[in-house]
Amino acid sequence: MPKIEDAFKSLGAQIDSSKPGLIILKVALQDLTNSIKTVVEQLGISHLSTMTGLDLGENIDVLYHFWKNDLIASVRVSVPKSNKHASSIVEIVPGAILYEMEVHDLFGVIFDGNPWMDRRLLLPDRYPTDLPPPLLKETKASEIRKAVGIER
Amino acid sequence: MTDNETKAEAGAGLIQYSTENVVPFGPVHPALKEPEYFKLYLRGEKIVDVIPRIGYVHRGLEKAAEQRRWSQNTYLFERTCGICSFIHSLCYVQAVEGLTPYEVPRRALYIRLIVAELERIHSHLLWVGLLGHWAGFDTLFMWVWRDREIVLDLVEAIAGNRVHKSLVTITGVKKDIPEGMKSRIVERIKYLADRARFYKHIVDTESTLLARTRKVGNLKAETAQRLCAVGPLIRSTGIPRDVRADDPYAAYGEVPLDVVTRSEGDVHSLLQLRLDEIVASVKAIDYALEHMPGGPIRLKIPPAIPAGEYATHCEAPRGEIFYFARSSGGVSPDRVKVRTPTMANLPTAIELLKGLTMADVPVVLTAIDPCFGCMDRMSFVNLDSQKQWTWSGEELRQYGIRKYFPERKI
Repeated sequence: MPKIEDAFKSLGAQIDSSKPGLIILKVALQDLTNSIKTVVEQLGISHLSTMTGLDLGENIDVLYHFWKNDLIASVRVSVPKSNKHASSIVEIVPGAILYEMEVHDLFGVIFDGNPWMDRRLLLPDRYPTDLPPPLLKETKASEIRKAVGIER
Repeated sequence: MTDNETKAEAGAGLIQYSTENVVPFGPVHPALKEPEYFKLYLRGEKIVDVIPRIGYVHRGLEKAAEQRRWSQNTYLFERTCGICSFIHSLCYVQAVEGLTPYEVPRRALYIRLIVAELERIHSHLLWVGLLGHWAGFDTLFMWVWRDREIVLDLVEAIAGNRVHKSLVTITGVKKDIPEGMKSRIVERIKYLADRARFYKHIVDTESTLLARTRKVGNLKAETAQRLCAVGPLIRSTGIPRDVRADDPYAAYGEVPLDVVTRSEGDVHSLLQLRLDEIVASVKAIDYALEHMPGGPIRLKIPPAIPAGEYATHCEAPRGEIFYFARSSGGVSPDRVKVRTPTMANLPTAIELLKGLTMADVPVVLTAIDPCFGCMDRMSFVNLDSQKQWTWSGEELRQYGIRKYFPERKI
């Protein structure tokens, strides 16, 4: 897929296409909106399959998986744990609204511009606010079970 | 009307009814099989806004997977959904196989295709029956569900289980399809194809069903694309988006497949589309059984999976399911991400509801074939390294008695 690689070289992205059918485009956090715009508007890949959060110690990586024909193109950004803010892409991809809420619930990343950042989607109301989000590595499964009352 | 009369009416609450009202729909509602909550904002009888709240059956499977071995997770992710269980385990092992250098035996790929298509037939029949039930046509429901038993029996004959097949394993499948079984499978699925054609005739001619489904929930191709809808929902608007054809996995690259589309985008077209897909699935199974290559069905591999990341997707009966796996080289995953089709279709359903009336909500929500259990996923099921936490049936019964009748002696 030379076209994608050309479009992303100008954004200074690290491109990984070692696995057939997959391409990962790592961009800087401030280039996120531009990158998504490039994928959707310039390259015409409009279907966002989902968003994945990854706890990598210092950072939380967020992957935006786009799918067209036989290619899964993932835009990847690193959000530092000290300042868990990323810009929302709901304006460009309206279907991303629930995926952003999911990453917000499970990793605590705040997507600025998403209108539903003030509420929970998946987590129960009784999930304590002082416990870190459940999918971070520092949160132990036993703590979560205790907090939501499955285990005493 | 004089000012006094207006005031009197306002006092009786009549004017207030014409402003915005909030109606809670769920979490427990007769129209939903599973608990989910929708906050409906109504102006008069028209829905102007919908806010979803999911997660009532969120079981934390993704967290639980990080504490289990790669092979154990095959069974864990199979339990994401009680209807499309096979495709979840299939997509999970595909994600794991993407991290390993091994090539899956071709015969196993064919068996995976056959069982995945049998599951699609079963899931579509289930939905057609349920829609008949919600539309007040219970004869259809009973007929369709009787025929669904045939496909469940076939799955049991192949895998040994009706619902959770536990057939797929990393780099292969666990059970072979014996030569002698092929003719029986072909005979039974051809009967199912005939039944599907008959149901399509009913769906197209029965006036009560037409009245309840035609022009209900008109979905536009542009809306579906913008909101990233998947599966039958987007194919009913004329866009042929199907993972089996676009990005073939298992043996789909070698088996001819008809991708069925419609252009109307209403509930009636979803009915037609799913019945046509049953016929297409029967054709694919028939071809795959005839052209199935010989050879081994699985490989033996070490339990540790090489470090790396892999993303893959499959076409479940409800649409694209997506798995992402990350390994740090150990025997347990670092992270497994699951995205189920209902999650992808929910924004579309919300958009469809806007402008409709309260009475259309159950039909439209059923039309996307929701499976909230698999959207929520996952439980903090027992088992961490120190403490095994499994209950026998008797212990569960005693827990129930203790909780609800604390004064009673067991």
